[in-house]
Amino acid sequence: MSRLSQFSSEIAAIAIIGLSFLIPFITDSPFAYSTHNLIAVAVTAAFSVYIMLRMDLMTFAVPAFMAVGGYAAAIAGLKFGIVDSFFLTALSFVAPAVVALPLGILLLRLRGIYFVLVTFLLTQILQLLIFETPDLTGGTNGLVGMPATTIFGMELADNKSVLLLAIGVAFAAAIITALVSGYLRREFAAIEENEVLAQSLGLVVWRYKVIGFVVAAGLAGMAGFSLVNMLLTAHPTSFSPQSSVNYIAYTIIGGRGSMLGPVVGATLLVWMSSIFSTHGEFSEGLYGLLIMVVVLAARGGIVGTVAALWRRLTRNLGSETSAAPIVGTVKEVAHER
Amino acid sequence: MSADGSAGRAGTLEVNTISKNFGGLRVFNEVSFTLAPGELMGVIGPNGAGKTTLINVISGKLAPSAGSIKFDGRDIGGLPFHTLSRLGLVRSFQQTNTFKSATLRENLARAIRFSGSPPSIWGKLDGMLRQFDLAPRLDVPSDKLPYGLQKMLGLVLAYATSPRVLLLDEPAAGLERRERQQVDAFVDAARADHGCAVLIVEHDMDLIKRLCPRILVLDAGRILAEGAPAEVLARPDVIAAYMGIVEGEEAA
Amino acid sequence: MASFVSAGLIGISLGAQYALLALGFTLIFGILGVVNFAHGGFYVLGGYVAYSCVAMLGLPYPVAVLAAMLATAALGYVFELFLVERVVDDHLATLMLTLGLYLMIGTCIQAVYGPESPQFSFPITGTLRFAGFYMPLENLVVLAVCLVAIGGVYFLMYRTDLGRGLRALADNREVAATQGLRPKLLFPLAFALSCGLAGLTGALVTPILSLGPLVGEPVLATAFLTVILGGFGSIIGATVAAFLVGLIEAYSVVYLGGSKGALALFVLVLIVLIVRPSGLFGKEARGA
Repeated sequence: MSRLSQFSSEIAAIAIIGLSFLIPFITDSPFAYSTHNLIAVAVTAAFSVYIMLRMDLMTFAVPAFMAVGGYAAAIAGLKFGIVDSFFLTALSFVAPAVVALPLGILLLRLRGIYFVLVTFLLTQILQLLIFETPDLTGGTNGLVGMPATTIFGMELADNKSVLLLAIGVAFAAAIITALVSGYLRREFAAIEENEVLAQSLGLVVWRYKVIGFVVAAGLAGMAGFSLVNMLLTAHPTSFSPQSSVNYIAYTIIGGRGSMLGPVVGATLLVWMSSIFSTHGEFSEGLYGLLIMVVVLAARGGIVGTVAALWRRLTRNLGSETSAAPIVGTVKEVAHER
Repeated sequence: MSADGSAGRAGTLEVNTISKNFGGLRVFNEVSFTLAPGELMGVIGPNGAGKTTLINVISGKLAPSAGSIKFDGRDIGGLPFHTLSRLGLVRSFQQTNTFKSATLRENLARAIRFSGSPPSIWGKLDGMLRQFDLAPRLDVPSDKLPYGLQKMLGLVLAYATSPRVLLLDEPAAGLERRERQQVDAFVDAARADHGCAVLIVEHDMDLIKRLCPRILVLDAGRILAEGAPAEVLARPDVIAAYMGIVEGEEAA
Repeated sequence: MASFVSAGLIGISLGAQYALLALGFTLIFGILGVVNFAHGGFYVLGGYVAYSCVAMLGLPYPVAVLAAMLATAALGYVFELFLVERVVDDHLATLMLTLGLYLMIGTCIQAVYGPESPQFSFPITGTLRFAGFYMPLENLVVLAVCLVAIGGVYFLMYRTDLGRGLRALADNREVAATQGLRPKLLFPLAFALSCGLAGLTGALVTPILSLGPLVGEPVLATAFLTVILGGFGSIIGATVAAFLVGLIEAYSVVYLGGSKGALALFVLVLIVLIVRPSGLFGKEARGA
């Protein structure tokens, strides 16, 4: 298998997001703008869940780190007048990553299930922290009236520019995700499939879990910045514990096996939610049903199921090609019994 | 790093009066022995004697409740699993334990990468893979391999980490008679290529008698006897411990 | 002084409720290794079933409570038997399954009853005044019922064969299975017991606090806190921790005010998890 085909889904995911840069130039509809902005935020956040799931770890902390990133950007803009988009994007990655590092080191040696619970508690804690520090975060009122961000000096004030920035952030997040999950593919896969064996072969498992956790926190922070920038407000309701379930749903339903999963899941589900916004209370139940279906019958989510169907179709049409070239000096020898 | 470039300098494993309790249950008590570099030793005992737990404790999966374990003269009790592996103390598992959906080739690649073995290990693996009928199956997902080959893969993975001490937990369990002899070949190759010491926990008496110049008998958590197989297995107390249990030749 | 004792009484009353919730939660985790994300959902369901029995079927309140407990236990049994059993060895999968169930319960309740809080009040009102302290009668009744229920659970777990079997499974599933205990039989029962306890608590508490589709949210967080503090899988730990949490919550509301108490509690539990992950009474928590 060539290196390129190994990364086909990463490339496809990045390409899809890249293509979406065209959207603001194809349409002017405010509905399309707001929906795609939400989708861009959702995709970025879903990547955070995706990275953790590569190691078979579930995280409920996405809203918590979104809050750290989002508020960091809002405070930088409002209190320090920092508006450069590149700087703010980087800040929204670094701030939650810095928070996640000591937390990860302390918590990731525990069994996986403990970790999941702690991420759940983290989101609750962040919400309460926001309420209890009104001087910094504006408390229940949030931070309102963020200045528009700039890029190379140009202000990004209108809907089109804001959407472009959101897509840009999602694009950057996709590249980070692809690089990390690509470079650490073996380690993550080993941890996901058989952690004990990986350890017994010498892999320092918890170190890679921490790396994944820190990167996931950074990605969530970027989503937080994107959301806050869209609303021009940093408000606690944007980072509610309930929303953690949504980001998990996007990735699980879309498919946790490749980067296309979060992209497809977030796009489909957010788009559907936007269209059926009057029946919003039913979206949760639908997500719940879909999650159960995926867990019981379609482990690979939408992308995984489609890919499996495709493989089955093409296998029926053509025959399997022979084994790939062999590495190193091992030669195939006809074996006699 | 377990692979230091030179032809595998092995260290000495000293186990000093270690005990292990689970709650109120004492699994083994005051077990002591020394494994010299390159030495081959077998551990036998009836079921429930504490053999697998012993390996779990020595390899770092569990911490000893009492006593100390030294490797290279350094205290290793309670060190994490992966650290001991990196020091060269590597185990195999009684159940088949591989990266199930990954190909055989990928399994090996991971073992080499995680342990830091030099790429030259592929050359040594070459012969071994052919010998164990694994070479034609390099691109098969490991969970599609038959049981015997999965077990052999588990052994080969441990070998691929360039170990200095190999702890084999019932390597022949579930294998057919022909496959059991491959375990012999494996142990010989591991000792020849890596110069490593090997500790084998086993039920298969023939294998132990064939391979091990020295064996330890564990019964109800303590060492019953130690020495050459011929003498030890003739001792009345050892025979009594096994009374009623049919060992040795099983229907192939 | 009076408020100190009153807060203490409220704390004990809260503790009893949390204990019922935590017991069920820790039972499932200890025995099945499953984190039941739908725990809060069964709590809410219990409340709504009791409400429906009283408001729509005209049944007396104690019958309604019983019905709620049986209904949630039955749902839990069926859910475990037909769905969870299929993935019970995969912890992440069971977590997601229970999460999905929770979401569906919430939406179904909203669909049937609407998003507004229905009028559901406790049949006994009044306050007990005693030597300057006071305690609402409803809390007293709930406390009494909870203590009886806790006693019932302990009796079940420590004095019956079923309970012994469940505890053996919790301690070491493989060993217990080789001794003839059948997980396939006992798992759904354990799940049913846990959900029944959650439903019972919901039927008892929602008329006092409030009933609505979202009242289950804090239940899960409290269950997590209590079980982490007490140690996963430990029945005694869950009980002790529940009363501790109840008391801390009651006192922090009175003396700290606002959400500071909740924040302090969360952070405390986080610290406990870092310093002593097995909690007060629990078992090995570190991964390899």
